[in-house]
Amino acid sequence: MTLQEQIRANRLRSLVLIGGFAVIILILAALLGAAFNLWVGAFALAGALIYAVFGIISSRGMVAAMTGAQELPPEQLRPIQQLVDTVAIAAGLSVTPQVRIIDDPAPNAFATGLTPGKSFIGITTGLLQTMPKRELEAVIAHEMSHVRNRDTRLMTLAVVFAGVIALIANIAFRTMAFGGGGRGRNRGGPIVIVLAIVGFLLAPIAAGLLKMALSRRREYLADATAAEILNDPEAVAMALRRLEMDPTTVRHADVSVAHMWIESPTSRVQDAPPGGSALAGLFDTHPPLASRIEALERAGGFKLPERLSDEQPFLAMA
Amino acid sequence: MIAVWIVLAVVAVLVVSFVFGFNHLVRLRNEVNTGWSNIDVQLKRRADLIPNLVEAVKGYAAHERGVFDSITEARSSLLRAGTPGAAAQANDVLTTALGRLFAVAEAYPDLKASQNFLRLQDELTDTEDKIAAARRYYNATVMRYNTKIQSFPGVLYAGALGFTAREFFEAEEGDHAVPQVDLTPPTSQ
Repeated sequence: MTLQEQIRANRLRSLVLIGGFAVIILILAALLGAAFNLWVGAFALAGALIYAVFGIISSRGMVAAMTGAQELPPEQLRPIQQLVDTVAIAAGLSVTPQVRIIDDPAPNAFATGLTPGKSFIGITTGLLQTMPKRELEAVIAHEMSHVRNRDTRLMTLAVVFAGVIALIANIAFRTMAFGGGGRGRNRGGPIVIVLAIVGFLLAPIAAGLLKMALSRRREYLADATAAEILNDPEAVAMALRRLEMDPTTVRHADVSVAHMWIESPTSRVQDAPPGGSALAGLFDTHPPLASRIEALERAGGFKLPERLSDEQPFLAMA
Repeated sequence: MIAVWIVLAVVAVLVVSFVFGFNHLVRLRNEVNTGWSNIDVQLKRRADLIPNLVEAVKGYAAHERGVFDSITEARSSLLRAGTPGAAAQANDVLTTALGRLFAVAEAYPDLKASQNFLRLQDELTDTEDKIAAARRYYNATVMRYNTKIQSFPGVLYAGALGFTAREFFEAEEGDHAVPQVDLTPPTSQ
């Protein structure tokens, strides 16, 4: 697949997602309209659409707020921005994503945004203080792959849509619990049934959407693309090994943004109890780092030494 | 009747595969063009840094005329280069000439410590990293594009439709500037 074909595949997925979302919302509005009256349906439809559009437009700022990613003055960012620019060129992008810094000792990074020009890559201070240049470049290349392949857009859409649908399901359940307000008992019957159907149908749909966005295949693909961009699979594997060895996790580990980070900030596989790790793996947004490293080793035909390289970190500790 | 349908089906398959193949070629060509413009931007940026750098060094080592002349000449042949191969070669010559300039700079501690010189050196290193990155992407896409138009079935129609093989960004074998033995310590950080 050429780069543009990967982008097209993701664009198609995005379109399917938008179409599917529109159909679901229309069905919901029709159900509500049939159960109550036309105005309730129209109101729900308008509300859901406005919420979705607002969510997509403000996603960048919301992600920045939820992760604590800050814009820094250019002169302070210069060495990091230079590195990001270089990786963007190696990835064949004609625009460079912005860099934002998260003041957090845990090494981690993520990317978000609807288009490459409007994306930003969030990097923790911990990452700059633990990774040598070669590995930092690999992490940036991983994030750049998400931006380049438009994974970030797909993720944003899926998360926002899942949020809207979950909200409607929630409202349906609550309305059901309160017996549909003070309306007559004879009208309660069909309404409760409709709401129950809506609620029970929506939860798996929302979950399915999220699963689509959080596909673990995307992480393997981004690792492979990063290796290709840099022509250096070993650097990517080394960076992942260093993340694996590090015991810290980011403070801003909000579940709703957990899927974006290069290393999952919520659940760490090595912390899972022995028998339960297989089950925990099912709900993990990321494949275990060890199997990602193994995939790179297999593709690149090398074996990573157990020890980390003791090169100087990109930003020497103060 | 059946024969007519078979002929129609074969024609349809051929048309569809041609359309897909053609679009694939167009996409690849666009990727090659993006890759080249990324290289071009960085080569221009590198050339733009040279006059300032030469001025900075001249302030301390005005007598090193030979070095300055070779750099100025390499710079203008880089700007004149019309093909990727020629640009790559001119760029290599410039790299060699710059190596000599930095070797000269080694002898002037004041120059090496000056903010202006350090900034220019940093910019130049950054540009060189970016040229290397852009070269990697460009050469990989050229490889894919050329393979596509030289292999079956692209080879049947690519040439007739104006898809011609593109040049890699690399100096031709044997045309390299004579490698110099550099005994000075590396100047980049």
